Amino acid sequence: MDTLLAALHAVAWAVYVGGSITMEWVLRYAQRTMPPSQVGVVCKNAGTRYRWFALASLLVIGATGLLMLLRLDGPELATRPGSPELTLSDSYGRTMLLLAAGWFALLATVSAMAFWLHPAQRKRSRPDMTAEAIAAERQRIGRAIKHMDFALKFELVVSVLCIGIAASLRTGGLI
Amino acid sequence: MPDDPQIWIQILLGYIHDLSIAVYLGGAVAMEFVLGPAQTSIPPAQAQVMGQKTSDRFLWLAWGSLILILITGALRLERLDMLNVTWPFFESPLSLSESYGRTVGTMFVLWCVLAINGALVTFRFRPRLAGKIAPGTSAAQVTSNQAGRIAAATWIQRLTRADLAITVVVALLGASLKWGGLL
Repeated sequence: MDTLLAALHAVAWAVYVGGSITMEWVLRYAQRTMPPSQVGVVCKNAGTRYRWFALASLLVIGATGLLMLLRLDGPELATRPGSPELTLSDSYGRTMLLLAAGWFALLATVSAMAFWLHPAQRKRSRPDMTAEAIAAERQRIGRAIKHMDFALKFELVVSVLCIGIAASLRTGGLI
Repeated sequence: MPDDPQIWIQILLGYIHDLSIAVYLGGAVAMEFVLGPAQTSIPPAQAQVMGQKTSDRFLWLAWGSLILILITGALRLERLDMLNVTWPFFESPLSLSESYGRTVGTMFVLWCVLAINGALVTFRFRPRLAGKIAPGTSAAQVTSNQAGRIAAATWIQRLTRADLAITVVVALLGASLKWGGLL
């Protein structure tokens, strides 16, 4: 059971972090040579799919992480390198809390992208729109794209840092 | 913060190892289930260009990850005093008579399978997809060329899916090492 939970947890982290690195490194690179109209179509399609993969992975990470935490055995934990303890007075406990905070930040960011930033990029045009209204709409979409770009970079940095924080737990914690 | 440099090296090796696995597995999932279907939403000619660009870039990521997984994996075993450069190279519990050793051995064999599949995709099937049709080529040659490309694309898809399944198995084996191995 412990092995299965740990494997599920690792696979979910891998799908999430590897996916976000691939979207940034591979998709952005390929977009440079594509006509702008097609960039929009591909972004919408890939973005929508990726958001659901990311949300599902984060939920699996949260569920398996919580179960693993509940199954942690104090005496067994003490036999690991550095004799860690799951309290805030010990580096292991503080690192675990930092990792949980990172997970919450990622969940909030991906949820914001899925339910707010992605829908905000949709163009709303009506035949009776004035030139000012069209310009304002363009500005709004521009702002939404900027927010999305910032969210994607924030997500990438935090997710890559989380892998490092998690890796430090094997040696007793980081902070 | 750990003040022993040896612990920092251990954390760094573990970090690079985990990140490389994430890039390999997560990248393959994103290529297969996110970027692949997204390609179908644009005209075929543009989709082919996009497919070529994304695959070229991803192959660099995949090869880099595979090499880093092997190097950091070996260095981590060496730091745990299970692997050394003198005969018999493997120290207990890395012998095949122990579950830990058999699990690590299986992981290494599966890594070799991933490397062979990667080599097949990079050096055998990808060049077939990228080939251009020269002016003056006969209709029969064009048909044969197209059949070759379709076969190469099918093989790439099969190998990518096999790689995904293998990587999930490797993750399961890797997770079991904390409790002494699975096999």
